[in-house]
Amino acid sequence: MAEKLAANAATKLSHVNVPPAQTWNYLRINDIAFEVPAPVTKGEVLSRLPRLFDAVETGIGTEAASWIVSASGDSRYVEVKAGTHRAEPIVVDVDAAAGTVCDTGVLVREGAEATVVVAAHGTPAEAGTTAALVRIVAERRAHVTLVEVVALGKGSQHLEGIGIDAAEGAMVDVRQYALGGEKVAMGICTNLAGRKARLTQDMRYLARGSEQLDVNHVVRQRGRLTKSEIVTSGILADAAHKTMRETIDLIHGAKGAEGREIETVLVAGDDVVNKTLPTILCDEDDVAGNHGASIGSISPEQLAYLADRGVSTADAEALFARAIFDDAVIHAPEATSRNAALSRAELVLGTEIARDVAEGLGLDEGEEH
Amino acid sequence: MQDTLLTIDGLSAGTEDKPILHDIHLELGSGQTHVLMGPNGAGKSTLGHVIMGDPSYQVTSGSITFDGADITDLTSDKRSLAGIFLSYQAPVEVPGVPLYSFLRTICQMRPELKTTARKFRERVGQICEQLELSDSFLMRELNVGFSGGEKKKVEMLQLLLLQPKLAILDETDSGLDVDALSIVSRGIEAYRAQCDGTLLVITHNTRILERLDVDRTHVMVRGHLVAEGDASLVGEIDASGFSRFEDELAAKGGVA
Ligand SMILES: Nc1ncnc2c1ncn2[C@@H]1O[C@H](COP(=O)(O)OP(=O)(O)OP(=O)(O)O)[C@@H](O)[C@H]1O
Ligand SMILES: [Mg+2]
Repeated sequence: MAEKLAANAATKLSHVNVPPAQTWNYLRINDIAFEVPAPVTKGEVLSRLPRLFDAVETGIGTEAASWIVSASGDSRYVEVKAGTHRAEPIVVDVDAAAGTVCDTGVLVREGAEATVVVAAHGTPAEAGTTAALVRIVAERRAHVTLVEVVALGKGSQHLEGIGIDAAEGAMVDVRQYALGGEKVAMGICTNLAGRKARLTQDMRYLARGSEQLDVNHVVRQRGRLTKSEIVTSGILADAAHKTMRETIDLIHGAKGAEGREIETVLVAGDDVVNKTLPTILCDEDDVAGNHGASIGSISPEQLAYLADRGVSTADAEALFARAIFDDAVIHAPEATSRNAALSRAELVLGTEIARDVAEGLGLDEGEEH
Repeated sequence: MQDTLLTIDGLSAGTEDKPILHDIHLELGSGQTHVLMGPNGAGKSTLGHVIMGDPSYQVTSGSITFDGADITDLTSDKRSLAGIFLSYQAPVEVPGVPLYSFLRTICQMRPELKTTARKFRERVGQICEQLELSDSFLMRELNVGFSGGEKKKVEMLQLLLLQPKLAILDETDSGLDVDALSIVSRGIEAYRAQCDGTLLVITHNTRILERLDVDRTHVMVRGHLVAEGDASLVGEIDASGFSRFEDELAAKGGVA
């Protein structure tokens, strides 16, 4: 459960978001370091979750993951029974005002369907750290939808580590919205272990001011005929820093596996730092891996089309920013994530536009409070 | 006499290294429906884009006057706000922007259309119904993965929302199945009826004109407007093609 952390006793996490393949360090993007509060409990702390979660690899790395386990003080385990459809999303509520650090394990049994939401929101009293570790095991033919909304602000640093194991025929759909936070690390690793397991992952982000966003996307494709499709797009404004590591690991034996990743970045600030490390590891002949990236601005064709409808270049950038929030609200499956996106929208887009987003997308009817 | 909405006077334009349009004169009366026909590659789409202010073309001479003001040097976003709309032959995909966000933005920036989000949703819902377009499209990214026909319907949706003074429809009918064609034709008819809009219809197909009262027909060949007539000219072209006009232009020595 949520626990207020002692802010002064600091611990250093030196290697957060380490990608599977280390490269020559020219961009210095092999990892990121975090200063975090020392856990209240000293020494080795074992996860209180069932043992099977120990084997789940998370994108933020073992150092950060074990810190979260020990700092969280408690853990939450949810099991979704075989063949059932759990309508109500499993919500991991991360509140910056409470300094939430939490450890969650979700077991989605054979053929079951579930939605997991991780919503980080709020403002810390002063500067503060929040963290969420979420490990998900999807058994055969299970269907997991994960929606992450990180909607933090000034003074917030946040670590979000996700690990997903997908057995034969399991489907994993991920939507990540990184909408703000002074220093944010999001690391997700999906292990497509079983035959025909598949992942679709769609990330949108907006980083502005001096915000720092650090992302590690890893897919391990072990099973035959597994499929992954990772789409990432975002806007960097002002002096925002973004580091994106994208790894598709096509492991020996994964015959017929396909992995695809595409990244687009809209750079809308002169002092933006934009680093990307795309990697396709391939230890199997009979696979297809594909990486596409486009960095820069909105294409001339798109700008011309928008201009023909009255949208100037400056308006277009505002439209793209608004669109990220609209999209988050459209896909947020419940109130905590939706409200997180909306209150962040208020700060970023202003009250008028934020209200427009809320009203336009049917949130003023009061059904979701 | 009817007011003139658009006057194109002695306009020549092209890309940096290639002249495309030559000495174009065209006048559209307010509330009128004009048709522009011509063989592939004649310059019809180029004319549409030049009227809209597409920066990839340069105007080398002549002027465009719209609603009493010279707009030759205006950027396209300003022309759009002034009331000109160009429906694309091939609408552009814009990933990352839900159709809803786009529509809302282009309406809110026009004082005459500004309204509450709720009323806007209602209006969009009505038009979607009219166009037999599921409103689930609103939550999808603008034109991304839409079929050819769906893209054309989204152009119509914008036409009906924005109610521009002048609508240039560039082959809005191409690639539509029979049902979609009649839905789109009814949409155009509705636009005409709603706001007494002025139309410049670029087409190769006479079916889309069946529901419209055509005031004037223009023929473009190799960047020249070579003939003008009433609605009957459409039927004539449909029956015997463009060769007559091409021969006439060649005889005059007007080869680009
Ligand atoms: N941006 C451009 N760059 C280079 N050439 C161009 C450009 N735009 C148009 N053209 C050329 O100008 C000519 C006229 O093209 P345009 O698209 O206007 O023809 P059109 O009459 O609309 O033909 P269609 O009936 O096939 O749509 C063509 O030869 C075309 O290749
Ligand atoms: Mg054309």
